[in-house]
Amino acid sequence: MAGIAIGESEWEVTVPEKPLKDKLYFENLKAKVIDTNLCSRCLTCACICPVDGITAVDGVDFPDYEAKCTDCGACVRVCPRFVYEPKSGLGTYIEFIAGRSKRFAGQDGAMVTELIVSAMEMGMIDRGLFAGRDEKWAIEMFHVRDPQQLAIPTLGGTKYTFADVLPALKKAVRFTKRGVGVVGTPCIVSGVRKLQQEFPIFREKVKLVVGLFCTENFHYDDISKFLQEKGVDFDKLIKTDITKGKFIATMSDGEKVKFKVKEVEDIVASGCNVCTDFTAVESDASVGSVGSAPGFSTVAVREEPAKKVIEYIKEKGYADFGEAKPEELDYLINLKKGREKNITKPI
Amino acid sequence: MKKVTVPEQSLGEKVVKHAAAIKVAMKESVYPLTATVFYPRERKKMPDNFRGYLMFDPDKCISCWECAFVCPANAVQMKEAPNKRYYPTVDYGKCIFCHFCVDSCSGGALKTTKIHDVAYKDMDEMLTLTEEMIEEPEIIREDKKLVEYEIDEQDLHLKRTREEDTLFVEVTPPVEIPMVSQCIEPESCLGCRICEEMCESGAISSIIERQVVKMAIDRDKCTGCGLCVKECSMQILRLVRK
Ligand SMILES: Cc1cc2nc3c(=O)[nH]c(=O)nc-3n(C[C@H](O)[C@H](O)[C@H](O)COP(=O)(O)OP(=O)(O)OC[C@H]3O[C@@H](n4cnc5c(N)ncnc54)[C@H](O)[C@@H]3O)c2cc1C
Ligand code: SF4
Ligand code: SF4
Ligand code: SF4
Ligand code: SF4
Ligand code: SF4
Repeated sequence: MAGIAIGESEWEVTVPEKPLKDKLYFENLKAKVIDTNLCSRCLTCACICPVDGITAVDGVDFPDYEAKCTDCGACVRVCPRFVYEPKSGLGTYIEFIAGRSKRFAGQDGAMVTELIVSAMEMGMIDRGLFAGRDEKWAIEMFHVRDPQQLAIPTLGGTKYTFADVLPALKKAVRFTKRGVGVVGTPCIVSGVRKLQQEFPIFREKVKLVVGLFCTENFHYDDISKFLQEKGVDFDKLIKTDITKGKFIATMSDGEKVKFKVKEVEDIVASGCNVCTDFTAVESDASVGSVGSAPGFSTVAVREEPAKKVIEYIKEKGYADFGEAKPEELDYLINLKKGREKNITKPI
Repeated sequence: MKKVTVPEQSLGEKVVKHAAAIKVAMKESVYPLTATVFYPRERKKMPDNFRGYLMFDPDKCISCWECAFVCPANAVQMKEAPNKRYYPTVDYGKCIFCHFCVDSCSGGALKTTKIHDVAYKDMDEMLTLTEEMIEEPEIIREDKKLVEYEIDEQDLHLKRTREEDTLFVEVTPPVEIPMVSQCIEPESCLGCRICEEMCESGAISSIIERQVVKMAIDRDKCTGCGLCVKECSMQILRLVRK
């Protein structure tokens, strides 16, 4: 589905079919994805919407779409869940390794940060999109253009809330000269691929897509309320982690608040309940914590660009490498594959 | 250090130079030559590119704000006109007469005059509103003579004639390069038709036939204003030479 030139001053655009014929495209998206709880909140739709009308305050919505929506259908064209083809498994990879950056500190082995910074050093990209946070753990997107910016310690590390990576990508592809590196959960990775499939600018400008292993994510209001009820003081909170079925919040004074992940089951975002992709199979490289020793990141190197960056890291000696065990991912891969049954059949 | 000395001169040369100096002194005492122009009774003839009081032609203004952005003294402020367009105003309390605004105006809407007597009774009057910049300002002319500087090999002479110079300059309009909007990457078009909505000349049209949006730009109607280029969120429209 794309536009083609007819003459010097004429062109045609093929737009998607509307399941609900008399409704606007956004109403179709709402009916088919948002209201059916399929929406992953990846914000691919918001990234492409020409009037920037789609927001994600209380879930994804377009508050005054009657007045502002141009009914172009771009949101429907790029939404990875409009025609949902759930992906799962370990995916293909060239190399499956454990790594620990010698230069950066991160959630696990800081291999995500290392990949982006090394790609920047190599000249493959001139900026990387990082999900930083404010003192209340609300996510703020950063366009990192110089490794020195990583002196901000909050840029690395996992935040268990949704990040507006794709709306930030819209700006990034416009300003970049060499290319952009993106980091995101599997749903965000799928969104990037959809954008690349549809629009040349994303094919040309997004040069490295790093996926994160992901079981679930939370809306900011829900998780912050929950953590506060658990007695977590956000001013002291320095790290959040989910390992071996436990949510662990680490404080600056070394204190840890731990509880079973089961307790947050009710506030898991609805889109995650229908998400089957644990390892971001569509990424250039996927990074997570399961599968390797503590302090290491597990890295599935899938595509050529990521392989080049890993080779560069090895050559420069920027990281220690070790063995990773793909079979350790089986439990979570299967857990997520099991969510296929939650997917409601299309209207 | 190098010592500066009087140049060597022969006696003959010294006599000639002294005689020339005495001649000038005598001539000046009889018919003094000054460079003073007796304003306001006389007025100096100014060149056409003199940086004077500013005038404005709203028909040529495209409300691009360039003049307001470029003004180093912040003297140019854009104000909304009854037709909802924004036009410049000039505060002569701030203006340093650099005429960067005139140079920046792509349509030639701002133009100079040879009026240098820009004097006001109070600060408020110094803020010149758009409508005051359109009409030629009323100024009291007391000048009876026009003075021109004439420079020959030796000297500067003032040539006085009994005439009144016009203070308004006719500017040759800038050479317009005809441009039209063109879609440079149809593959990325969303079919949002925001360009069509933006175009004030009705140059962009679209026809929706089932799943296909047919877009077209009428090259004859397009004035090359660039509004569509600015508004296209995919940035796939460009102005090209017609
Ligand atoms: C919501 C979520 C759930 C996860 N669940 C699992 C899991 O179940 N099992 C597992 O093994 N690993 C999981 N991970 C991945 C893991 O927590 C680490 O992010 C991963 O191992 C990389 O660690 P690192 O030290 O190499 O990364 P770092 O070098 O610390 O970099 C982390 C990167 O992640 C980005 N980031 C952080 N939070 C978000 C966010 N919410 N959205 C988008 N980008 C973000 C940052 O911008 C940064 O670039 C999850 C990550 C997230 C964000
Ligand atoms: S303007 Fe286009 S992309 Fe935005 S909501 Fe409407 S149909 Fe979707
Ligand atoms: S899944 Fe993503 S693209 Fe689809 S509606 Fe939700 S946020 Fe938008
Ligand atoms: S589980 Fe992770 S990848 Fe899947 S929808 Fe939720 S946040 Fe996105
Ligand atoms: S350049 Fe101006 S006149 Fe031409 S199509 Fe665009 S908006 Fe219309
Ligand atoms: S504004 Fe841009 S994307 Fe939208 S229809 Fe016009 S050319 Fe296409």
